[in-house]
Amino acid sequence: MSSKINSNNNNHRINGQISLQPCPHLADFRSRHRSNPFRALQDCLRIKPPGGRAAIRRDPSEVPLCGACGDSGGGRTRLYACVSCAAVHCHAPPGGGPSHAAAHAESARGGGGGGHEIAVDVDRAELFCCACRDQVYDRDFDNAVVLAQTAASTLHAPPHSVTTPTTIRLPQPENLRKRRRVDYRPWTPDPRERSLMGSSSSPLNGTVSDSDSNSDSRSNDLLPWGLRGLNNLGNTCFMNSVLQALLHTPPLRNYFLSDRHNRFYCQKKSNCNGNGDGIVNRRNASNNERNNNSRMCLACDMDAMFSAVFLRDRKPYSPAKFLYSWWQHAANLASYEQQDAHEFFISMLDGIHEKVEKERRKPHSQGNGDCCIAHRVFSGILRSDVMCMTCGFTSTTYDPCVDISLDLEPNQGGFAKMASTKSNHASNGEADCLNSSQNSGISTLMGCLDRFTRPERLGTDQKFFCQQCQVRQESLKQMSIRKLPLVSCFHIKRFEHSSTRKMSRKVDRYLQFPFSLDMAPYLSSSILRRRFGNRIFPFDGDEPEASNELSSEFELFAVVTHTGKLDAGHYVTYLRLSNQWYKCDDAWITQVNENIVRAAQGYMMFYVQKMLYYKASEKQVAA
Amino acid sequence: MRPSVNRPPTPDVQENQEKEPTLQETINIKLIESGEKERLMELLRERLVECGWKDEMKAICRAFIKKKGRNNVTVDDLVHVITPKGRASVPDSIKAELLQRIRKFLVSAAL
Repeated sequence: MSSKINSNNNNHRINGQISLQPCPHLADFRSRHRSNPFRALQDCLRIKPPGGRAAIRRDPSEVPLCGACGDSGGGRTRLYACVSCAAVHCHAPPGGGPSHAAAHAESARGGGGGGHEIAVDVDRAELFCCACRDQVYDRDFDNAVVLAQTAASTLHAPPHSVTTPTTIRLPQPENLRKRRRVDYRPWTPDPRERSLMGSSSSPLNGTVSDSDSNSDSRSNDLLPWGLRGLNNLGNTCFMNSVLQALLHTPPLRNYFLSDRHNRFYCQKKSNCNGNGDGIVNRRNASNNERNNNSRMCLACDMDAMFSAVFLRDRKPYSPAKFLYSWWQHAANLASYEQQDAHEFFISMLDGIHEKVEKERRKPHSQGNGDCCIAHRVFSGILRSDVMCMTCGFTSTTYDPCVDISLDLEPNQGGFAKMASTKSNHASNGEADCLNSSQNSGISTLMGCLDRFTRPERLGTDQKFFCQQCQVRQESLKQMSIRKLPLVSCFHIKRFEHSSTRKMSRKVDRYLQFPFSLDMAPYLSSSILRRRFGNRIFPFDGDEPEASNELSSEFELFAVVTHTGKLDAGHYVTYLRLSNQWYKCDDAWITQVNENIVRAAQGYMMFYVQKMLYYKASEKQVAA
Repeated sequence: MRPSVNRPPTPDVQENQEKEPTLQETINIKLIESGEKERLMELLRERLVECGWKDEMKAICRAFIKKKGRNNVTVDDLVHVITPKGRASVPDSIKAELLQRIRKFLVSAAL
């Protein structure tokens, strides 16, 4: 019988939003109680602090029992409260026992004009139709529950003066095309391609072995490809450490080693452009300078560096040309003073991007990563939801980002106290802190990410203008990750600059970071699901693809560490190649045990996606 | 239009109050009053998620829905399907832990 009734409930998507047809009984109920049909229930919504579950209780200490048989629910039966008259009845699945809730609906229909079919689960605050014997969904009801839950999760008194909430609308994100994924097809070169490869390339093996015929070369042959020290050119350890990490960033390394940016070709092209268009880029440059300035291409210098570093030559390499080019790009940082490695990283990616943009003359969105290799590798998309605490209206924005800067958790006093109790007594109503690992008092990278994606109340001085209320209201902000980049760079904010006190300090606290990281809990889909539970939520129209879950696993491959004080410190990079760790300290590279890496003070951590997927190409391939 | 909250006539409730509450009911009420039931529920939820039981149940539900078709399934059907499997697959360690907690509570409540 149930299958026939439910054929009416077609959920189909309109404009990407799930639109459920209400069952006839729900529709009937809504038309009877036009304005604010669930008003009475709102006052009975109790949010229990551990876990933030919503329950319906007339008063907080009420123990609900079935009016007909005294069943207290749990076990095989659930208790439902009729929305019209608040009578509580039990319900068991067919064959499992009586359903007094259904009987209540029946008797109301027989006796009066019906209207008692809709009930609410007292322990889960979910709507149920006793006649159809199935769960039903209502937007207004879910809005009210979500509002109460988010209000309670920030220890704020649930708002009683709520006007009838209308639908929560989210704008469609622009520039997000549905990414069609193509299955991996294995490929081996055919004889023609093989001969082409042989004739057009030279093997790396037999090139520079003559120069280092000393005893070092034999032991060095055991080291993997691409490990080469970088000379310190005067406080340039900040640059060397980041370069070492980038030289071994798999997608970047593959890009340059497969000649995707050929420095000779690029130079020829830019010389032609410079000469052909007249003085376009550098109006003030003299003829000599013009040739030199148009040569400033960080990608070309990267290309040269890759070629040099992946030789068998183990003598340290001096990235002087690169340094000079970067100085030209970031003139304000051009000095022999120690700079910030993270600042250098951002500036360098920007430099690569700018040069490409200039040539392309056509803006590409950064979020897609189509603009340049730097963004293709590092760029992800962050989603920021700002929700009005009064009416629930949520404003969503998407921003591209090349890395994620994380705050270290503030000092947690009383380590001993927290470590002893591993029980589930949630401390201070922290709704989302169920990880017992948090109790041991060590800051972890996942802890920082939890804090990053936690809903945060914007203070009274940061009231957000709500488009629905048309007035500034207190609001709740939550960050999540809409699209993961190929390589995630996590930057730990260890350098605090306080403009009020006119001083800066370094936070030395140890941060524990995992070698493998699953970013699934920080994706927008997970964060939204946690926020809304199994309520209707306007999800953007993007179904969480199964492949999204597959590609959220990351592996650590480089860690940039900082030791020392803020103004007198040293950067060192640890690289992971074939599951061996190597310490890269300017010109000195040594193999180290992984425990040394675990104990190091991480400043920037680089994680790469474990599995890469091929995106369907829009270009037609000639047969 | 009916006013918002209306209690039904109460002969049902009176009937129950004539009988003595059973031992089970007494314990249940004591558990709820002290808040211990809520804590036990949360502990159980956490344990079941940790050991993968929840994911197993989800997978079974998904498989069932796929088989029957999205529009032909009710919550009752799902509950009916996973209840026996769910009860059977709860790990013994979790049962033991909860029993231990309840025993401890009873001892302290009896004093």
